[in-house]
Amino acid sequence: MIKYTVKRLLQSLVTVLIIVTIVFLLLRMLPTDYYFTEEQLMKFTEEQKQEQLLAAGLLDPIPEQLVRFYGDLVRLDFGESRRIQNGVPVVKVIGSKFQISMKLGIISIGISLVIGVLIGILQTRYKNRIPDHLGTIYTIFVNSVPALVSYSLVLVFGSRVLGLPSMYSTRNPGPSSILPLVCLSMTSIAWYALWTRRYMIDELNKDYIKLARVKGLETKKIMTRHVLRNAFVPIAQYLPQSILSTIGGSLLVERFFSVPGMGPLLTDSINRYDTNVVQTLVILYATLGIVGVFLGDVLMMIIDPRITLVGKGGTR
Amino acid sequence: MATKEPILSARDVEIQFSLRGRKLTAIRKCSLDLYEGETLAIVGESGSGKSVFTKSFIGMLDANGSIIGGSIMYDGVDISKYKTEKEWMTIRGKKIAMVMQDPMTSLNPLKVVGKQIQESIELHQGLKGEEAKKEAIEMLRKVGIPNPERRYNQYPHEFSGGMRQRVVIAIAVACRPQILICDEPTTALDVTIQAQILDLVHSLQKELHMTVIYITHDLGVVANVADRVAVMYAGQIVEYGLVNEIFYDAWHPYTWALLSALPQLGIKGEELPSIEGTPPNLFNVIKGDAFAPRNKQALAIDFVKEPPFFSVSETHKAKTWYLDPRAPKIEQPHSIRRLREKMRERS
Repeated sequence: MIKYTVKRLLQSLVTVLIIVTIVFLLLRMLPTDYYFTEEQLMKFTEEQKQEQLLAAGLLDPIPEQLVRFYGDLVRLDFGESRRIQNGVPVVKVIGSKFQISMKLGIISIGISLVIGVLIGILQTRYKNRIPDHLGTIYTIFVNSVPALVSYSLVLVFGSRVLGLPSMYSTRNPGPSSILPLVCLSMTSIAWYALWTRRYMIDELNKDYIKLARVKGLETKKIMTRHVLRNAFVPIAQYLPQSILSTIGGSLLVERFFSVPGMGPLLTDSINRYDTNVVQTLVILYATLGIVGVFLGDVLMMIIDPRITLVGKGGTR
Repeated sequence: MATKEPILSARDVEIQFSLRGRKLTAIRKCSLDLYEGETLAIVGESGSGKSVFTKSFIGMLDANGSIIGGSIMYDGVDISKYKTEKEWMTIRGKKIAMVMQDPMTSLNPLKVVGKQIQESIELHQGLKGEEAKKEAIEMLRKVGIPNPERRYNQYPHEFSGGMRQRVVIAIAVACRPQILICDEPTTALDVTIQAQILDLVHSLQKELHMTVIYITHDLGVVANVADRVAVMYAGQIVEYGLVNEIFYDAWHPYTWALLSALPQLGIKGEELPSIEGTPPNLFNVIKGDAFAPRNKQALAIDFVKEPPFFSVSETHKAKTWYLDPRAPKIEQPHSIRRLREKMRERS
């Protein structure tokens, strides 16, 4: 297990390194003007710009810059933001934002996991009856209506009828995060309900359930003792990944309710050519993705005894 | 045995399935008596209704199937009228248990096998916790699994097919049922393992005084384990009797055809006989003897009127017009006579 983990981590490191290098090289192909803020561009003369670039080492040959970049990474120095917040370390720019995104994200995952799985269970229990149909209608509605339309419905209903704040504010985070949370959870509730129902019905039709029935176990106990846990295995695999990816925030929801989270940051930083922020975000997302998949595999191995990540006689 | 009262008695059971708006009659007025302590084998080809018929004894028909006629008397109650799960709970496991065909899929892959056996013990023997665990380990030992203490904590994938079937049997038997239905328990297993499983069921049957129903299409299994045999064709039992009577003095043409196809009876260099044609479509109403279209020696009446049961002996009945005194004299086929001679030589 330890051997496997180490090997897997090393592989992940190589993957991240390749991604980072590609992004770094692509960004170096941009015109050097983008290393300055809009203000600086107006004021500086050509000589001043060259001087600045030379001082920052940005005119060195690319391999040299790359090595320096790796060195910075090892020291966890991600540089400073130039255009979004001039002179502020990138870590700080991202840090304050991801806390908000992650808080909202994790709460929403909690909510949707509980409600979604519950709906899925009810749908299975009353398959082809009214509760099942209602659940299916909800799933289809959420998935087929464009997000902006359903978000608008939530917004109008929430602010007009219930009088909830329609904008997120850091001074009043409690009530003002209700509507963003509803929107964030809406889709994932449908997702969890869909898959819970699907996997539970899959399990219900298996032979071991027949044997459990034959030996005289009642349906309720079959559901709790046998079906639910087995159906949860495939869902659990994606859980760590979805928790980690909440750090990234939701572009749409955060824009819609003006949540100062991570969602719009990547597009903003690309639009405004803030290279250091772009680089750091890419590293962050790549790492989160890779770690999420890895944790998912480990989690699945813990709950499903049939799965071993380590083959006999060495790693797979 | 015929003098005893049957412990389970099915009369004219009819079972229908609805498939896409059409009705399929899987069991057509089928009757069966089961006597205490015996081993009854039900044989017949795939689709003849062996499994469906016995599944109706424990209310395990698929959702689209139901008993539409007849009765199944057990313990003085007509269980064919049972509808709710609560009613079936008084039968399932407690009185009648079942071992299914495929041991590879019959166990929950995410639960240690010991716990799965323990579940049935806690349900039916009134033991809890440590005591139930002890009994589960004892059960594993009883079904011939070495190292039961260690095996208790292992998962199904750590067991071979034969071992898993032993576990499945342990689960079924741990309910302490009166009747054990074995639905092709050895079909999915190696030939060498088959014999071991049959022996195991036999010894458990003796030890725990169970009545066993085997569902199989393997006549070799039948000859080894059964006291009585019932032959099923197209949703009906067409002939039943003691195992010797069926093997050496069969009268239904379908039983003849089955026995003639036994590889053991084949003559070197000759092609092994097979039954031509296919079983009737059960969506249609069947007129006369269901086997008549595949029977080269069918009588005219076979196509018109369904035959009743005729007695060959006190214990042996066959549902064929051949046994009607008015029927033209029909000899048992060569192979059946050869079987009988073989048996005489041996005794």
